[in-house]
Amino acid sequence: MLDFFTIFSKGGLVLWCFQGVRGPAATAPVNALIRSVLLQERGGNNSFTHEALTLKYKLDNQFELVFVVGFQKILTLTYVDKLIDDVHKEFRDKYRNEFQQKGALGLLNGTFDFKDDFMRLLRDAEESSRVRAPTVMKTFEQSLKSQKTVKCMIETRGEKPKEKVKNKKNKGSKKEGTEAAAAPSKASGGDKQPSAAGDKEELTKDEILQKNREEFFRRHMKAGEKSRSPKPDAQKEKGKKPRVWDLGNSNAKVLDYSNSATNGSAEACPVEEFDPDMALGDKNREPGRLYDLEYESEDEAEEEKVVQNTSKPSAKKGGLGGMFGMLKGLVGSKSLTREDMDPVLEKMKDHLIAKNVAAEIAVQLCESVAKKLEGKVMGTFTTVTSTVKQALQEALVQILQPQRRVDVLRDVMDAQRHRRPYVVTFCGVNGVGKSTNLAKISFWLIENGFSVLIAACDTFRAGAVEQLRTHTRRLNALHPPESHGGRTMVQLYEKGYGKDAAGIAMEAISYGRCGAGGAAVPPAVPPPHPSRPFPVPPARNQGFDVVLVDTAGRMQDNAPLMTALAKLIAVNAPDLVLFVGEALVGNEAVDQLVKFNKALADHSMAQTPRLIDGIVLTKFDTIDDKVGAAISMTYITSKPIVFVGTGQTYCDLRSLNAKAVVAALMKA
Amino acid sequence: AMAGGLEPDLAALRQELSGPAAVSVLIALIAVAVTFLIWRFVQSRRSSRKAVLLLGLCDAGKTLLFARLLSGRYRDTQTSITDSSATYRVSQDKSTSVTLIDLPGHESLRLQFLERFKAAARAIVFVVDSVAFQREVKDVAEFLYQVLVDGTILKNAPALLIACNKQDVTMAKSAKLIQQQLEKELNTLRVTRSAAPTSLDSSGGPAQLGKKGKDFDFSQLPMKVEFVECSARGSKGEEGDADLEGLEKWLVKVA
Repeated sequence: MLDFFTIFSKGGLVLWCFQGVRGPAATAPVNALIRSVLLQERGGNNSFTHEALTLKYKLDNQFELVFVVGFQKILTLTYVDKLIDDVHKEFRDKYRNEFQQKGALGLLNGTFDFKDDFMRLLRDAEESSRVRAPTVMKTFEQSLKSQKTVKCMIETRGEKPKEKVKNKKNKGSKKEGTEAAAAPSKASGGDKQPSAAGDKEELTKDEILQKNREEFFRRHMKAGEKSRSPKPDAQKEKGKKPRVWDLGNSNAKVLDYSNSATNGSAEACPVEEFDPDMALGDKNREPGRLYDLEYESEDEAEEEKVVQNTSKPSAKKGGLGGMFGMLKGLVGSKSLTREDMDPVLEKMKDHLIAKNVAAEIAVQLCESVAKKLEGKVMGTFTTVTSTVKQALQEALVQILQPQRRVDVLRDVMDAQRHRRPYVVTFCGVNGVGKSTNLAKISFWLIENGFSVLIAACDTFRAGAVEQLRTHTRRLNALHPPESHGGRTMVQLYEKGYGKDAAGIAMEAISYGRCGAGGAAVPPAVPPPHPSRPFPVPPARNQGFDVVLVDTAGRMQDNAPLMTALAKLIAVNAPDLVLFVGEALVGNEAVDQLVKFNKALADHSMAQTPRLIDGIVLTKFDTIDDKVGAAISMTYITSKPIVFVGTGQTYCDLRSLNAKAVVAALMKA
Repeated sequence: AMAGGLEPDLAALRQELSGPAAVSVLIALIAVAVTFLIWRFVQSRRSSRKAVLLLGLCDAGKTLLFARLLSGRYRDTQTSITDSSATYRVSQDKSTSVTLIDLPGHESLRLQFLERFKAAARAIVFVVDSVAFQREVKDVAEFLYQVLVDGTILKNAPALLIACNKQDVTMAKSAKLIQQQLEKELNTLRVTRSAAPTSLDSSGGPAQLGKKGKDFDFSQLPMKVEFVECSARGSKGEEGDADLEGLEKWLVKVA
């Protein structure tokens, strides 16, 4: 029934393997398990599905072993968990010597002849799952039905039997209520009881009558009050006067300070005096270099010393036996149990949530760390807190370095060699900073000598095209064509508002490719129009190195817009799909990323759909050390954070420094 | 009164120091100091740098290489999630031994483990999968670049061996080709990486790899770099021996 059962060390050596009936090699599924679950800290749940197999695993943290069993997904074998536990115990006890004394050499040279024991345990487990006495039917006396009275089961016309059962309880209490004298008190008494007994039950005929009577009385009384209240209102109204503010005499015209000349017409918008210092911000910087985030690397050792100091005096307290036990815990080889770790993990989970990590991710992370540490033997003079903190820190660093780092410059050079532009698409929800960071990234690329074409595929938001046009103008002022050999370094490709974004992106990409000679149909030159003083020049040797596509912000729940985005990405096949997310987002990050990825996967026609390739984390300067959003985003997508935006000038583009972020997270 | 109190004490001290006991005290102090210094020197020489690290991408064959060197037998392996270390006797006659440390190659772990063990590295074996090299050349170069610009490694300059593994497969690339491709790729990488962000550890920019004006060459590095072909699985299948002569000879040289 089982496909395979492997036992291997965490260092990678397979100690023992059992190949079941269907015998494909166990290596590939187990590698997939290791890479997706253990290395990405999703170890909370102990089962994993890979193609047609379900894999269940167990970690032995004391001797650094992993036990994995694989079976067909369609089978539901109930004895597997018990089998793993039994095998774990027996294997560990049998080969304890090899593990403890000889270390790695013991693992290498030892022969682990476990087959007989395993077959025995397997047989026991299978039998235990099979043998179960067939359930005996309950007799009539044992059932609940026999305890109901006959009367309650009789249906009378027009009423439901259910209420009868409930009303049985009510009738007793009601009898006292009805004995009360006056009508209002009866009304109030009767009122209380049905509401006490339950809101949703239906009332009997008498009760309905009574209720209606009460309503009538109440309304009658209210009507009397109502007739009284309008009179004072009318008196008040006569005396009402409009409130006068200090400047209240002026009307709207006077309050309009906007320049009548520039409102609404693009030509009249004056080309402002461009101040490079304001845009660039930092004067002493190396052009083209992408600096790293600055963090004071705090001394972690201080924290740990404090923790240890508080634990040692506690060891001195307590009686002789207690002290001995605690000293032993400090010095000797104490293995970590779940109970020891739980309070610490709770505290760490709350700490992470306070630092803006999404709640479910903090929970999963702590679960995974607990699984990794269970049964581990602590060294001398290490406390539970320090061990857990260390493990959590390693897990966080691991999460922040998920994959091959996205090296944009390297990939652009590759694309240059193939004579085609490198296409980057920015997507995200509304207001996260897509256009701003697009401008920053194009500035960085220009400084490194690559020409950029900005495609304005945000055809919805008012002012989106003008915003990009302003950025283009500024960038051209900073890097005029003269200083780059007569080549325009940055250009805007736009088609106004209301058009199809995917179509514009496709045209922009083919426009960007034009310099290679022999492009597809060159984009139609739109006739000059008074509202568009910036005509798109005819395509002639205008090859661009990079095309940056700006899309409109959209909420992840908006199905038609998500479909449109997925279509844009599927049709144009960009080289890099960047999701722009702000660092202020909390639990929303999980929802956004999951839904974006899902939409991209659902609407893609290809076998391997294009998903989000990287993340741009913006508004990083607004959070001090609540940097948890970085963890949430990389955990969900397991893609790296490519850029970090730390401000609104062109130089505020950094790259992520995993150690610094983790240090900020773990700081108290 | 105070001065009066001190005077006889000073006189007594002076008397003590001038006696023969003073000389012996002085000699004892010097001996202690010298022993201490010698001990520190020997300690630092002994404990630092006795390790040979096995680095490389995932599935390069590091763990199998580790198993073959230590036990001579073939073992099935899975992706490592933690390091393994053992003492390796370099040759039968000499009694020198090194600590072989096999580090995981997965992207999330490799840098962490490198941080932990780089200070103790006397030599580094960078294992490359010669069959998948064409596909993975960028990733191999990136990892190699990260190893080479590391501050501690530049300072200690441990000997570097690039072991082109999996030569038993017919499609494997030769060591010469791998060297050329790596040099080209590293040449490009050092330009793009210097324009990209630096990490907080290295103060002020990533170290320049090789000489500025010329194309990158492995001979420009401060450490000795060699290329060797090997096969951990061995050409005779799993039962036969591995083809590790070049690697073993190099280890003898380095130890």
